Amino acid sequence: MATREDVIEDFGHVSRTAGTVFRYLLLAATLFGIVALAVLLLYVANDAIQPLTADPGWHLTFFLTLVVPTLAVSSYLFRTDPVSFRFGASIVGLLAVSTMFAGGMAMIFVDIVPPVVWFGYVLALCLSLAGVVVIERFDRQLPFLARFVAAGAIVVGAFAVVPGLVQSLPVYPTDDILLTLSFGAPIAAVVGRYAAADAGRRGRLLAIGAGVVAIGLGGVVGPLLGVTPVPATVILSLAVVPTAGYAAGIVRRHPARRSGLVLTAVVLLGAFGGAAAVDALGFAGPQSWVDWQFLTSAHSGDAINAGLYPAIGGSILLMVTVAALSFPLGVGAAVYLEEYAPDNRFTRFIDVNISNLAGVPSVVYGLLGLAVFVTYLGQPTGTVLIGGATLALLILPIVIISAREALRSVPDSMRQASYGMGATRWQTIRNVVLPRAFPGILTGTILALGRAIGETAPLIMIGAPNVLFSLPTGLSSKVSAMPLQVYAWASLFASDPFYQAAVPAGVVVLLVVLLSMNSVAIVLRNKYQSDSQ
Amino acid sequence: MTDNSEQEYTASTDDPTADEMSIETDVSTSVSSSDSTQHANTVVSAENVSVWYNDEQALQDITLDIPENQVTAMIGPSGCGKSTFLRCINRMNDLIDAAHVEGDLHLRGKNVYDDDVDPVALRRRVGMVFQSPNPFPKSIYDNVAYGLEIQDKEGDYDEIVEQSLKRAALWDEVKDQLDQSGLELSGGQQQRLCIARAIAPDPEVILMDEPASALDPVATSQIEDLISELAEEYTVVIVTHNMQQAARISNKTAVFLTGGELVEFDDTEKIFENPESQRVEDYITGKFG
Repeated sequence: MATREDVIEDFGHVSRTAGTVFRYLLLAATLFGIVALAVLLLYVANDAIQPLTADPGWHLTFFLTLVVPTLAVSSYLFRTDPVSFRFGASIVGLLAVSTMFAGGMAMIFVDIVPPVVWFGYVLALCLSLAGVVVIERFDRQLPFLARFVAAGAIVVGAFAVVPGLVQSLPVYPTDDILLTLSFGAPIAAVVGRYAAADAGRRGRLLAIGAGVVAIGLGGVVGPLLGVTPVPATVILSLAVVPTAGYAAGIVRRHPARRSGLVLTAVVLLGAFGGAAAVDALGFAGPQSWVDWQFLTSAHSGDAINAGLYPAIGGSILLMVTVAALSFPLGVGAAVYLEEYAPDNRFTRFIDVNISNLAGVPSVVYGLLGLAVFVTYLGQPTGTVLIGGATLALLILPIVIISAREALRSVPDSMRQASYGMGATRWQTIRNVVLPRAFPGILTGTILALGRAIGETAPLIMIGAPNVLFSLPTGLSSKVSAMPLQVYAWASLFASDPFYQAAVPAGVVVLLVVLLSMNSVAIVLRNKYQSDSQ
Repeated sequence: MTDNSEQEYTASTDDPTADEMSIETDVSTSVSSSDSTQHANTVVSAENVSVWYNDEQALQDITLDIPENQVTAMIGPSGCGKSTFLRCINRMNDLIDAAHVEGDLHLRGKNVYDDDVDPVALRRRVGMVFQSPNPFPKSIYDNVAYGLEIQDKEGDYDEIVEQSLKRAALWDEVKDQLDQSGLELSGGQQQRLCIARAIAPDPEVILMDEPASALDPVATSQIEDLISELAEEYTVVIVTHNMQQAARISNKTAVFLTGGELVEFDDTEKIFENPESQRVEDYITGKFG
């Protein structure tokens, strides 16, 4: 019996061996997939880029101009001022990702949608918006239906007449000026408003004006640097001006982060300086398969001349179609189920089945697309529209589920507050619920699009051609896609050069696109989470 | 209620801790108004209001008249139905599928449970402030203007927003940051923003559901001062579980006790000093509840 006078000399030990073994087994399970994938990707990237074929001088030059300064500045900044470091690094990342998307957009303007057509539609959109605003402002006494019909008539009329009218003009400005007005100016307006948000009306107008002028100069400066006017304008509008505007906006709000821009400058100067240096010194770069030629030429029977251009363009068009179809359908369904649907058997039935649909194999969706669109609706096989619609069906359940989660994360107190103010359900959803849930919905949709961009089986099922030599020009032209092209190279053209170089190069491009889409989604989600706290 | 935009109030930022416990002094300032006859200016009049959640009765035959331009407090232990009653007045209970209301509840003579009453239209005449501050994730300006916008009200929104913020004793603190998000304010400021939002469309009644229970003592005291000022112009119905608060700011007090029963409803002074019911006295003196 222990008494109060007893002194404990030793508590003894409890064995943790089993627990420790268990813990490291779990760690191994966690890392298994990641490590396996990383090894494969290194292998693929090595095949695709072949860094060891470059001159040692090439490596040395870039090491000295890019790697050493970047490491030095980053480690200094990271230790002294981590916030600025993150800011500088994010600007570099933003520039890289946005330049890539700008490249895709430029592809659309060069080969698919001529700038004059785009200009016509943007003009139609502006005119119809202006018409709707005028109706809303001056005719409030009219009943809702009359206003609705009038607004609809204006919108339909504008879209039916204006684009054709613009295209039939005998003389119109050059493509880059049209793009500056119809594509660059709206972006500059948004960016300028953000960058100079606290500078008053005059400051904002100045910032917007500066953005438009910078974009407009693209058509003049671009050709001097070897870039044709249209891509130059697009890259300025979509990559350079937004990144610069974002950087300027952050520096205005948090002047202390200014030092992060040093990192951005070092990376950019190092990259361009290194490129100029190896050019001048005559060092040969790696014989990479992911090069300009690969990105801009079509398939060829000869692996060295083969390229991914039609497949990239096809993937972009497919993504646009998929987004245009699945976003409204998916968000609409999610809003109905979360905000309107009564809790009854029908709703529960739908609920369960949406979750089931998310798990249906993609080849089954391909079969569905073939059956519904080709056999019953009599559409030609393998077009952008059919492919997009099939992929949209495939990701629709994912979009619905993620949008519902975003809607569910809107606190009920917000809805209560809105109803308490005498808002109708529609006003509550439009003014409170949707704005608050939008970033979450967007994140889920982008992640779902990431799934769609990698799908091959449904495209095979609906008869998309394996090899396409030009970009699709419209919704009803045949389409190929990046994963399909890679699959074709690996199966139909299975020779060593295709296996060892073209396939890895295709995989690298596909993964880079996929990862940058996901990074956009992740950045959006993080920003959303930090904003809502 | 139409000329209120002419008047201005400034925030009363006197020492908020002073007199916090002296119930008598605060109550005595409001005795004069509570002497007015009960039926002369009734705004809300409940007759035999009962509420069920599924099969469980949450309110039993509540009958009371809420007078104009006074603060009427509802006190009682948790689950006694005081919030349920508050939510009957603007039919927020309609949003709960399981809730079922019986009886008549008149707002300025019109039974709000008549078949021809649109609950959305009703809520536009009744402002509501909730337990925890719930501004919208919009700018301060848009928060206050929300009611005006959804109701398509005519008028100078800038002016109304300024007046409402002044009346909610928040203008001086936020006048330079109207386009900042309402969520960036402190808890007490957020709650005053919610009050500004509630009074901007000029409602008949303002319902407050434990508006200070999520706030610190200083912010609570500011809200209480504000409520007393609002009562000069608005009819305020406030639910609170804080008896001192009810004693400090209300003219009339309704005591609900467990089971959804209205045990006593009278002038605040009488309830706290000389209640008719033994149960109320026990509750107020802390013997139960």
